[in-house]
Amino acid sequence: MSIPLVPSLLRAHLAELAAEDKRHDGRDRFEARDVELEINCLPRAEGSARVRMGDTIVLAGVKFQIMTPYPDRPNEGGLMCSAEVRPVAGRNWEAGPPSAESIELGRVVDRGIRESGCINTEDLCIIPGEKAWQVILDVFAISDDGNLFDAFGLAAIAALRSATVPAERFEVGEDMPLEVSKTPIMCSYHKVGGRFVYDADKREELGGDERIHITLGDDDHVHSLQKGLKGIFTAAEFAEINNEARSRCAELRDLVNNALEGE
Amino acid sequence: MGGYGDVQCIDENGIRLDGRTKDEVRPVHIETGVVPVADGSARMTWGLNDVIAAVYGPMEAHPRKIQRQDRAVLDVRYNMAPFSTTDRIRPGFNRRSREISKVTAEALESVVLTELYPRSKIRVEIEIICAEAGTRCAGITAASVALAHAGIPMTDMVVSVASGKVHDIVVCDLNKEEDNYGEADLPMGILPNTGELVFLQMDGDLSPEQFQEAWDYNMEAAKVIHEEMVRALKGGDE
Amino acid sequence: MKGRSVARPDNMSGDKGAGGPRGSRQAPLLVAPGDDLGDSGELEAGHGVLAINGRLRALKQGRMSNRDGTVSIEPRRTAYVPRPSDLVIGYIEGCTSNIWFIDIGAPFNAILPMSLGPSKAEFGGIRKILDIGDAILCRVQEVEENHSSVVTMKGMGLRAIRAGSVEDIDPHLLGRLIGRGGNNLRQLKEDTECRVIAGDNGRVWLDGDLSGIIDARDRLNALLTEAKVEEYRGDA
Repeated sequence: MSIPLVPSLLRAHLAELAAEDKRHDGRDRFEARDVELEINCLPRAEGSARVRMGDTIVLAGVKFQIMTPYPDRPNEGGLMCSAEVRPVAGRNWEAGPPSAESIELGRVVDRGIRESGCINTEDLCIIPGEKAWQVILDVFAISDDGNLFDAFGLAAIAALRSATVPAERFEVGEDMPLEVSKTPIMCSYHKVGGRFVYDADKREELGGDERIHITLGDDDHVHSLQKGLKGIFTAAEFAEINNEARSRCAELRDLVNNALEGE
Repeated sequence: MGGYGDVQCIDENGIRLDGRTKDEVRPVHIETGVVPVADGSARMTWGLNDVIAAVYGPMEAHPRKIQRQDRAVLDVRYNMAPFSTTDRIRPGFNRRSREISKVTAEALESVVLTELYPRSKIRVEIEIICAEAGTRCAGITAASVALAHAGIPMTDMVVSVASGKVHDIVVCDLNKEEDNYGEADLPMGILPNTGELVFLQMDGDLSPEQFQEAWDYNMEAAKVIHEEMVRALKGGDE
Repeated sequence: MKGRSVARPDNMSGDKGAGGPRGSRQAPLLVAPGDDLGDSGELEAGHGVLAINGRLRALKQGRMSNRDGTVSIEPRRTAYVPRPSDLVIGYIEGCTSNIWFIDIGAPFNAILPMSLGPSKAEFGGIRKILDIGDAILCRVQEVEENHSSVVTMKGMGLRAIRAGSVEDIDPHLLGRLIGRGGNNLRQLKEDTECRVIAGDNGRVWLDGDLSGIIDARDRLNALLTEAKVEEYRGDA
């Protein structure tokens, strides 16, 4: 990714707006852009989701492969999360080896899923010591208008929850849904003009400062946290957004549940 | 191309596995504006193919070594998403993708008025979301629409399609089984307003008559697909 | 390019800006690149149109119009290509000890030599005058063959932009924003009580009260939406 120029005028303007409790697109401080969630939209994937937040669009696909369990964990399969922002997604995303931003995005998404324990790798065992499932989650940005983290997080968990284990194709049994015990949801808050806002778009990200990503599971359990970029925040600021995250994560979880029920 | 095994690509009534007769094109649908942040973009669904193309530019050509003093360069990237095929594709450098990116750039450079933007580059990003034979053709076609959507001046758009041969019968617009098992594959990139060509490849075995038949099928198919390209551009963003 | 007359953004039918004709149109028709538009013996090639082998061909997608025998296309989007005397809003991307590099939204950055800047600096003090990230209102002084350009801040009204907000619109929509004789722009300024300066590179500077800026921005967005809807109306 090429680091875009930050116009000082933009920063000043965003600060002016923030002082009046306004955002440049007219949203409230913790108001989200319109969210669309579609599942099972990729015919060649065993599970998939497409998420749109404003003009940010992300795809996630789940593929299964057979692996040999590691010698020290004969009863376990594996889970791999790969997240990529392809150059298609924006002017500033360039071809080449993954940038630090891209890598951080991938790792934060991976941790949000993995550390929640929503996938039990022992469930993925087929024949102990011989065969197990490897679940590979690929998340892929198509359009970047800010807040890729939340779009990636939502697409990732929705894709996993929609996934069917393709036992028949690999001749190891009958197809069944992938066991996903929780639905961790990520909410990101960016400091813009001196205060944290939710679901920042590209302009706010460009003119903003640090960001905090909060992944909450069912019952408000905290599964992962990450603070990115330069900046200082207080415990009170964190408490405020953690509180906001609880209600927003619940809303997004409902969205996932409704999408699955609709199938 | 291997043997057919049990697969019968076309039956005794002339019906193919996807229900088409030998001269029919797969169903095509194109929409524009699918990457809202790009300067121009298009999505093409064609059979089970699902392809997105986005255009950025013209912009400064970096790195400097790709700059040309007298014209813009087309910086084309063709990529298949890991979940686009039944067996997952590992992300990363891929020789096939590189070759396709190159021939795609050369096809498009033949129609884009690159001399209007010297020393700059125009990025064309092609992503195959779901693959079903003819992805390189879909990529070129979607990229043409995306370039037009981005207002990049071109003398014509490029329509690309591949016909071939199965069980010694020439068929129009190969599907997945026909591409895998068939005896010939002839992809072409056609300028619909003049019938001229900017892209041509061929693999397999075709007699002179069969070659002409496949060529003609591509020309006819290009007309059908071109109609849909124009409709998508004139019909507006969906 | 033997034997062809190339319609370049800077030699098209007498209209200012890369955007093509403003004003009244006769029966707008939607065209796509490659479409045949008529005999080049009888008609002139305007913006987005090329004469090839005796015929006029569309190079772009958009609305075609025929004004007094010149066929032009109003495209959905135009890349900004700088021309001398263009008024542009730029951002300082970098500098040496006596030159600033300016992003003007064109394929190439422009340069602003210290001699054409707002004031002279002592050696090493260039960033005290204009720093990286600053915005300026300037004019294109010259454009070289390879399309690099030189901008100047010497001129009436040219200055650093220290307040307000800069919005981006497509250059070909400037005509719509400004209106005939500048009417639309004047109305916008009055209604919002803002200073509104439209650069030829599609960047628009809004300055005033915060509520005025917000109002002006809303109207700008409404204009963009309206243009988007309209561009697909026409006899297809």
